[in-house]
Parts: sequence; C-alpha cells; structure tokens
Amino acid sequence: MIAEPTDWARSQLVLRALVLVGPVVAVLVSGPAGHGPPWWLVLVVAALSGASGWFADATFAVAPLLVAVGWWAAALGATTSAWLLVAAGALVVAHVAGLLASYGPPTMPVDRAVTRLWVRRGVLVLLTAPVAWAAVLLLDDQPEQPGIWVLGVGVACLATVAATVALRTEEGR
Amino acid sequence: MSTAGGERAGPRAWRPTTSLGRALVVGALGVALAVASGEPAVVVLVAPFVTLAALGLVHRPTRVPALDARLDHLTLREGIGTTSRLSVTDAEDVEYVARVAGQAPYVVMRPHGGREGRLLDGGATPEIEISPRRWGRRMLGQEKVALYAPWAGFRCGPVGLGGQWTRVLPAVAPYDSRAQAPQPVGLVGAHRSRRAGSGTELAGIRPFQAGDRLRRVNWRVSLRTGDLHVVTTRAEEDTGVLLVLDALVDLGVSDGVDGASSSLDLGVRAASAIAEHHVRQGDRVALRVIGRGHEQVGYGAGARHLRRLQDQLATVRVGATADRESDTGVLQLGVTAGAVVVVLSPMLAESVGTTAAMLTRRGVAVLVVDTLPDEAVPDVPESADPARAALAWRMRMLERSVVLERLAALGCPVVAWRGPGTVDDVLRRLARRAQLPRVVGR
Repeated sequence: MIAEPTDWARSQLVLRALVLVGPVVAVLVSGPAGHGPPWWLVLVVAALSGASGWFADATFAVAPLLVAVGWWAAALGATTSAWLLVAAGALVVAHVAGLLASYGPPTMPVDRAVTRLWVRRGVLVLLTAPVAWAAVLLLDDQPEQPGIWVLGVGVACLATVAATVALRTEEGR
Repeated sequence: MSTAGGERAGPRAWRPTTSLGRALVVGALGVALAVASGEPAVVVLVAPFVTLAALGLVHRPTRVPALDARLDHLTLREGIGTTSRLSVTDAEDVEYVARVAGQAPYVVMRPHGGREGRLLDGGATPEIEISPRRWGRRMLGQEKVALYAPWAGFRCGPVGLGGQWTRVLPAVAPYDSRAQAPQPVGLVGAHRSRRAGSGTELAGIRPFQAGDRLRRVNWRVSLRTGDLHVVTTRAEEDTGVLLVLDALVDLGVSDGVDGASSSLDLGVRAASAIAEHHVRQGDRVALRVIGRGHEQVGYGAGARHLRRLQDQLATVRVGATADRESDTGVLQLGVTAGAVVVVLSPMLAESVGTTAAMLTRRGVAVLVVDTLPDEAVPDVPESADPARAALAWRMRMLERSVVLERLAALGCPVVAWRGPGTVDDVLRRLARRAQLPRVVGR
C-alpha cells in the first residue's frame, strides 16, 4: 500500500518529478538535434515516466529510459549533435533520482548527505558521456574499418574498468 | 537498556537493486544496439549507465550484517519519550541505512514519523525517538530496516525487527491536596486524628496525670494555676483510600496526553494522581477497576505499591463485565472501616450510582469524581437513527443528572476532575462531617 502523495516527503516529490521529467526531456531534445519526436511518443514516455516516478522501485522503471534510447537510435542514430549530451544528462538525472527515491518509502525524506553524494557521483559518471561523444566525433570522419566497433566496445569496457578502479580507490581514501 | 529486537523477518541476504538492474539493462542493451546498428550516438547515451552498473557490481558485498534494535526504556509515562537505537555489526559493506518504524496508535516518532535514512558514516546509525501519547500497553520499536551497499548496487532487507510491548503509565498529573482525610484510623501517617496522641496539633491542656511525659508539662499554665498541667495533642494517622475506577465505558475522544481526554483517560489519570498523592502522604491505597479486566490491587503503601497501582491502571481494559455484580446492580468493593472511597466514573452505570449511595448510607466517606467529558457523545452504530440516538442520549443525561442530585442529597459529593485541588474542598467537608455524631444505616 503506497501512501497518498499528500503525505509524501517534499524531497521525494522533487525526486519523483525528476524521474518523470528526465526521459521526456531526453526525447524532446531530439527536436533541436534535427528530428522532433511525434506527440504520441512523448505521451508514452511521459506515462511510463510517471509510473516509474510513482513506483520508483519497480522493475518497469527501465522502460522510459529504454524508449528514449531506442528513439535516439532509431531516429537520429548517425547524428553527433551536442544535444546527445543533454539527453544523456537527462537520463542520468532520472536514473539517479529514481535510485535516491527507492532508498525508502515515499514518506521518508531523503538525507541531504546522501543527496550530495549522489550528485557528485552523477556528475562523475556523466563525464563518460562527453568522452564517448568526443570519441564519436573523432571517428565520425574516418572511413569505417572492419572490427572498429569491437575495438570501440573493448576500449569502452577498459575505460569503464579503469574508471571503476579509480573511483573505488578515491572512495577508499 | 533492553532489547526490542529478537523477531526478524524478511530477506537477510544481499540482493541486486532495481537501480542496478536498470543500469545493467540500459547499458547492455544500448551497447548491443550500438554494435548491431552501427549507430555511435547510442554509446554516448548509455556510457554513464555502463559505468554505474560496473561500479554497482564491483561493490558487491561479501558479508551479511547483523541487526539489533534496542529501546532505552521499557516502562514509560505517557508524553515521555525513549530512543530506539539500531546497531549494525559486520557493516563494512554497508553504505546507507534506512529505518521505517511501524505506526502504532497514540505513538509519535521523530524524525518524520519514524522514517529515516542516513549514510552509515563511522558506524553511526539513525536513531528514532518514540513517545507514547496515551497510557496503556503499546507495541514500540517495530520497524523495517534496509541496508544498501556502496553505489546502491545491492540491498539487504527490508528486515523486520520485532518491537516490544511497553507499559505506558499515566502521566504525572500536577495534583496536590492539603485536605485532611475524613476518617484516619491507621497507625502512623500525616492526617490529624480525632483521638489524642503524640502528634503536633494542639488538642488541649489538662491536669497532669500519672504517666504523662514531663516534656508535655505547660509551665506557664502550671504556675498560674498552681497545679501541673500538660499539653495534649492529636494523633497523626494514616488512612485507607479505595480508588474505584469505572471502566465499563470509554466516552469522548482521546487524543493522547496533549489533546482531548476521554472519560477513561480522565479516570485513569485522576486515579494515578490521587494514588500518588496519598501514597506519598503515607496512606494506604487500594484500587478496584469495574470493567472487563477486574483489575484489583489491595491496600498498601510505599513507592513499590504506587508502581503496582500505576501498572494496573496502565492495563485497564474497557468493557462491561458479565458477572453476578452486574445482575444485582450492587458492586462488592470490600470497603474496610474508616476507608475513604473515591469513585472515578462518568456515572452512567446504574450499579456505580447504587453502590455509591449504599456506601454513603452506611457512613463511609464516599467521593465521586465525575469523569464524563463535556463534549462526550455515545458511540452509535451507523445503522441507528441519529435522531433517536440523540433523544436516547438526552434521556440518559437526564437520568444521570437525577442520580448525581440524589447522591448529593445523600451527602455524597460529586466533583468534576480539574487537577490540583479538585477534591480539597469536599474532603475537608467530609472530614468535618465525620467528626459529627450521626446515625447510619447498616
């Protein structure tokens, strides 16, 4: 039994609003990038995001993120627009907000210290997006070579492992 | 300090969180989509998710922590609070602790209704302050606890921690009385007796008799009269106080110690205050509860006896009794000679009024404390006609007022509970009346 929204903590309301807004923004910014989304898609994403905000700990909260990523892949896959970074940021904000909201019931306020910690973490992991975007820009003009994608994914995995180790070491201190 | 833990429920192992699953699915599907379609844009979108998923997996916990919650106090007074402390052992893999306390009636918690989450920084876990607002037996300390690993990749719980039944004693009411007991017949105490003794209250001056102590000689009168005279004083004795609490019904709204009081609230708090006052004066106090529980405490004195009385008051249950007393309409209270009977009742039960009248006729000092709140309304079933119910209640109130008038006419004072000094005046009048010769019915 979930409490009435009037009983929800203010911080929880803000977080769940971010869960709602994030994927919608990620889809909408594909417009400035060159291909605006149809209204029904925005509605679908908004509905899914709203449900994810209501049930922050539900499995289906992955759906709006997947739809947003799928829309970018289907409509604007070959683009290297900087709006990609905005979309990535919106998705990360929605994910982190959902994560923080799922730490407890909606009536439980979110601790400021843990919010600050996750803001720092969110910014840190978001740095991987511009790095990937720069790599895409570099490779964009190059003729495609066999195995480039396998190599790219391998490098991305290595970068992820390196970032993980670096972040863990930083935490240990 | 005693434990409130013990019963545990819920998963006690680390499980992946939905956040980790979300990051894994978005990251993996995004990378797969990018590879399959050859679209680089997707990698930019999912790169942070890949990192988050990796960090969550890397911080996979290895040890299952043990939880224990304790309450600082197991016996409380209404309005007084205690702290529920959580201890987590083997907490090396724990980053965040969330506590959600169960909501019990007439219990307030801080912070935020007993819900708090905090980073486990240096082993300091969140504490929950719990304060019961009404007397009675309350289940305190029931809660669910969830532990999160770093980067929220894994969660342990929510684990249910069983609370503990706590006895909430009535609040210490600011009650004091300077009135003497009407019929002190005990051995030692603080009440002025009718018979002469070794007290401090002057009774008179009389000629010296063999056996009188020399320190009692009044030299001024002796010199003036030429014969030895001594000062006589009244003895100081204790008295027996029988508290009769009517728990047959509970009328009115009870909002706890800070809010509106029901009839039983007033009765229990008044009984506790009167008992405390008399026990501190050295009197013997007994308790008889008219109700479902038949709670009863015999005469006694001292701090331990007071605690027994208050413990019994905290366990009072509302409800009519189905025994012989109810049928006959007369309650067998076991009143001893010289005892003062204080009846705390809303005076709606016929048997209570009848018993008070009978005791008064027998010459027992009876005092009725009216506990019916002004705004009390009966608990009427939804199917009942409101107009008829209102009419019935008005008739019941008229009957009640007639009973109270008849009791007053018999010499049984009826007062409404007002806290300090409530019974002073009537006790003084009872004490004066007790010194007059009278004919009583047997």
